[in-house]
Amino acid sequence: MSLIEYTQIWLEAFVTLSLFSFLYKDNPCYKITEHVFAGLSAGYYFGLIWHAVILQQMIDPMFDNGKWWLFIPGILGVLMFSRFSQKYSWISRLSLAFVMGNTAGIFLLSELHGKVLPQMQSTMLSLGFENGLGSFVLAVIVVAGVISTLTYFYFSREHKGLLGGVARVGIWFIMISFGAHFGYTVMARISLLIGRVQFLYFDWIGSIINLFS
Amino acid sequence: MTILLIFAYIFLILIGALLLYMTFKTDDRRYIYLAVGFYVIFPVIVTLKLPIMLSPEVKQLYDAVEALPDSSTVMLTFDYYPSTLAETEPMSHAALHHLFRKNCKVVTMTTIPLGGPSIAERVTRELAEEYNKVYGIDFVNLGYKANYVAVLKGMGTSIETIYPTDNSGTPLSEIPMMKDIENYGDIDFIFVVADNSIVDYWISIVNAQYNNPVGTGLTAVMAPRYFAYIGSGQMTGMLGGMKGAAEYETLLQKPAAANMGMTSQSLVHLFIIFSVIAGNIIFFMGKKGKSRKSA
Amino acid sequence: MKTTVPIIAAFLSGFVMLLAFFFNPETSALGKLEPEVLSWVTIVGGFTLLLGVVSIVRVNYSSVKRKSSGWGYKLATLISIFAMAIPAIVPVRWSSLFGTGTGSIYDWLFNYIDSPMMSTMFAMLAFYIASAAFRAFRARSAEATLLLVTATLVMLWRVPMGEAFLSGIHPDIPDLINTYIMNGANMAVQRGIIIGAALGAAAMSLRIMLGIERTYMGK
Repeated sequence: MSLIEYTQIWLEAFVTLSLFSFLYKDNPCYKITEHVFAGLSAGYYFGLIWHAVILQQMIDPMFDNGKWWLFIPGILGVLMFSRFSQKYSWISRLSLAFVMGNTAGIFLLSELHGKVLPQMQSTMLSLGFENGLGSFVLAVIVVAGVISTLTYFYFSREHKGLLGGVARVGIWFIMISFGAHFGYTVMARISLLIGRVQFLYFDWIGSIINLFS
Repeated sequence: MTILLIFAYIFLILIGALLLYMTFKTDDRRYIYLAVGFYVIFPVIVTLKLPIMLSPEVKQLYDAVEALPDSSTVMLTFDYYPSTLAETEPMSHAALHHLFRKNCKVVTMTTIPLGGPSIAERVTRELAEEYNKVYGIDFVNLGYKANYVAVLKGMGTSIETIYPTDNSGTPLSEIPMMKDIENYGDIDFIFVVADNSIVDYWISIVNAQYNNPVGTGLTAVMAPRYFAYIGSGQMTGMLGGMKGAAEYETLLQKPAAANMGMTSQSLVHLFIIFSVIAGNIIFFMGKKGKSRKSA
Repeated sequence: MKTTVPIIAAFLSGFVMLLAFFFNPETSALGKLEPEVLSWVTIVGGFTLLLGVVSIVRVNYSSVKRKSSGWGYKLATLISIFAMAIPAIVPVRWSSLFGTGTGSIYDWLFNYIDSPMMSTMFAMLAFYIASAAFRAFRARSAEATLLLVTATLVMLWRVPMGEAFLSGIHPDIPDLINTYIMNGANMAVQRGIIIGAALGAAAMSLRIMLGIERTYMGK
């Protein structure tokens, strides 16, 4: 193991333990690490956008491939910075509107074509006896769940009478789904901790053992 | 051996019970933290190998990749932040093992501005070395571009317009592998490894409009939502969290980080279930005591 | 002028995408225009991220300048930003330590400081979730009990030890959880949410394109 590798592992272990120290109580070591993290992340964005967007997507194609028209999105991008001026901040609306409008244009069809229709189709077409009774029961559960969940989230009318009853069934379905979410979320969070512990045990403690052996 | 195992279990249960009791007695949550830490560290030091059962969603994804003809072109995405590396990186590793083993051409990309390109570069280079794959011929890293909805939509017509260069700035026209890849039409399978809702757009834009099969590796937090897309046939298989990654590693017969984490995962899950039960018993006993007092 | 021009821009930019959906990109001029417009959107999107970075610098700089409470930490943030950003924008031809490639300062700082920090921040949630489970996860009502029972079953099912335990009770239990909870009730709810949210997103998109929705302009 080289000196640089030791430095890397020990630095990584230091920041990991500094952050974990918060579990005991708040302390300056945690605070400084937290602020350095925010700074490095912002710096990372800057470096990435400089290369991936400004150079690779705009400047290089403009000067190397003659795509002069790319100065237009460049200007729209620069206009975003007018937000820092109280007087001229309205200019940034133009760039924002361009991006928002474009995304809206994509979403208007993709949300209906790629989500609503296939999901409704799949729900409706699953009702049938072709695949046996078990499959039919499952399809009924799904149809009932979809309708009652949608009813629960329908707020234009007061949830009373039949609507209230269906919405109540919706709550039960939602509780089952949220329970499943909780179970999975526990797994997700524990996984992240396992990742750090594996690093501390195999890499950091491993490096200490390596140092003395 | 069995007696030793029984003793180990009794020891683990006693530790958990003691720390929960201390939490209850002192109202100091740090005892619970200590218990969680203990259950995560213990199996890392004392290795226990547990059998992994396979889920249909993981098997479906494995079969879909396995069914691809050799030398197919696959897009592998690194749509995750460093925060979820422990869950997602084993998935990327497993996917690359499978794809390189099948001699697939791999195009990697990311829609994550914080770390995405660096992670993609590091992981692909590591695995490529193991399989003797050459950059530009067997794999390419496109890197990052901003505004993922536009990126996903734009690549449907022309990848080169959205990504004029690869991650390191080499024009795509100078990369041999990219000469035959113009848009999604030239990609046989998309393997999305993600920790955020970008997956929705891989399905609603790319799968729905360009008919590319999309298989996913997702963090456990996200997985329950995406059963809906598996059910509708819009998603070709899914790895849900570390368990999903462990299952894929098992299918590949390459047990690695995810498999190693499953014992810790098991112990902490059991501890949390135990805490929930204990918490409820205390709650109901307290309630009963209160109602008796008021009567 | 301040509102009408952006509304027209939003409409045109969205309308191009709507029309392009119905045209063959290989043969029609509109189809060819589509990726070009989208590349413009990605460029503007990049600038919005830069705007965020500049904003962080401004906020922290003013705190340091005024020496307000915790200014030392803010100075650490500023130093970190520049330590990461400056080597990244220096031309790589000067040295392989510059730029963003493998082996650069930028890459090194990310891999050995930034990335482990972010991983650890989120790893800490494991402790909080365990504490919350003990202190707040109560079967106070029928609905809460349903949530609690499902969560317990799923937690058991998702780990090898739990799976073995459930299979020991009856070998079909893990399959039943996958079929009736995950691919049954859970899938139905997620479908309901996806359909509802997608209808909402489509309606909102139409409102933006028609200029009815203007909140993004600060109106």
